[in-house]
Amino acid sequence: MAAGAYVEFAKRAFSREATYREEVFTHIGSVALRVYLFFALWSSLYAGSGAKEGFTLQDMITYATLGLVLGQLYGVNGAYVIREKIREGNIAIDLMRPISVPLYVFADTVGQTAFALLQMVPALLLAIGLLALNHAHISLPASPLDAAAFVTSVVLGFAVNFFLDLMMATITFWTMEIFGFQLMVQFITTLLSGQIIPLQFFPESVRQFALNSPFAAIASAPLSIYVGKYHSPELLGVLGLQALWAVIFAVGALLLWQVGERRVVVQGG
Amino acid sequence: MPYVRTYGAFWRLNFLTLAEYRANFFVWLVFTIVLHGSALTTIWLAMREFPIMNGWTWQQVAFLYSLYMLAHSLNNALFFTVGDVPWHIRDGTFDRIMVRPLNPLFQVLSQPGQNWPDDLALAIVVFSVAQALVHLVWTPATLFLLLGAMAGGALIDFAVQLAVATIAFWVIRLDTLRWVVMSLETDFTRYPLSIYNKLVRFTLSFVFPFAFMNYFPASTLLQKTAGAYGINPVLGWLTPIVGAVWFAGAYLFWRRGLNHYQGTGS
Repeated sequence: MAAGAYVEFAKRAFSREATYREEVFTHIGSVALRVYLFFALWSSLYAGSGAKEGFTLQDMITYATLGLVLGQLYGVNGAYVIREKIREGNIAIDLMRPISVPLYVFADTVGQTAFALLQMVPALLLAIGLLALNHAHISLPASPLDAAAFVTSVVLGFAVNFFLDLMMATITFWTMEIFGFQLMVQFITTLLSGQIIPLQFFPESVRQFALNSPFAAIASAPLSIYVGKYHSPELLGVLGLQALWAVIFAVGALLLWQVGERRVVVQGG
Repeated sequence: MPYVRTYGAFWRLNFLTLAEYRANFFVWLVFTIVLHGSALTTIWLAMREFPIMNGWTWQQVAFLYSLYMLAHSLNNALFFTVGDVPWHIRDGTFDRIMVRPLNPLFQVLSQPGQNWPDDLALAIVVFSVAQALVHLVWTPATLFLLLGAMAGGALIDFAVQLAVATIAFWVIRLDTLRWVVMSLETDFTRYPLSIYNKLVRFTLSFVFPFAFMNYFPASTLLQKTAGAYGINPVLGWLTPIVGAVWFAGAYLFWRRGLNHYQGTGS
């Protein structure tokens, strides 16, 4: 199957998402409202104190805002459609098609994420406006190198997050009721990825473990890079670890998928 | 009384369902624990490096959260299904409610849904721990204030949900509004009201008065009545009154919604 088909899937997903105009407002409002919430929270906590664990109030506002944006991008969860397909039995038809279902889901997720990214432009502008009203702003990366590393890191984080979602969705081959379980994993991921509270704020006994975990590869790594917490030699190590987790999760998810797929074929769907 | 009998039958069904789907109940219980556990962990992690937030310690912020849990879970146990009204209207099943000889709101509240009191049980556990963490002084007044905050808070929660659901009689798609209200309720009530600007404080006190669910009662109970962030201690006692007034307003609005629904015949 030509790669062109998957590009087409991604484009289709993008235009499909663009038809839900109501949701666009929800996403934009959701980010702007919570940017203000975190601004208020960190401002009152930092009142009268300097940097903590190397994070200044300015770093924190930037970190929290971008964390919310990443949360929206990762929240797409395109793999979730697999759960519906398995529940309704449509998966049998998809398996007969001359395409790879995981690749199709990947293309679809890329398309949806691209649209989510587009929505983040007005959301960020609104957030910047809200912050300006409160005499605050978001920092730019310290150097072009940091900026490039940040973009690379987001792509790797996206991959880790996608394959984690894919693994979760694949579990539906064995048990149908995963909605509650999936939400639980999502809460734990949000916490351990450092998307809201930087992992550098975790108690020292678990901090190093948290910073090296696959969850850190999802949000903590790109966000910490953006606010300049890693310098060039370290930077490569962080990106390398992210890439390693992405590969491990990809292999894990695809193996799990193959075992699950065989199950359907053997049972006759 | 047909109401008492119907409501009794409704709760009997709830408990029978619970007994039948025990595994499902267990999954949701674990889910509820993870949900509130991660919220409380976030508060603790944020405040670990900073001893104080506008005069509140992390134990006091956890106590604030536990008061919210008490009121919100009581609302969920009794009034959760009011959120289904837009669905009933969209699917046309609301007509079924209109032709039956019982109060429509009563019927909405006695529809089978997930009214399992597991949330309430967890709220009581979290509250018990939090009140010990802040060394709450127990007097008969403490107990009355708490009961008032819980019942009145549940009523505020219910009134707001009812008003938002009623809008569905005119506008079917209102996901954005629902989302904003939900965020104001669940995200903004986690921290002391004093950290927000005037507009947010006004909104949370007089438009969607969620601050009366936990912030004002908690401030009164923790004697935060003097200094820059102090409040008038009377405010903490007003929750049941605010709940009653907002519920009355929401109910009148609901009646207008019903009339409109019948009027257009849609």
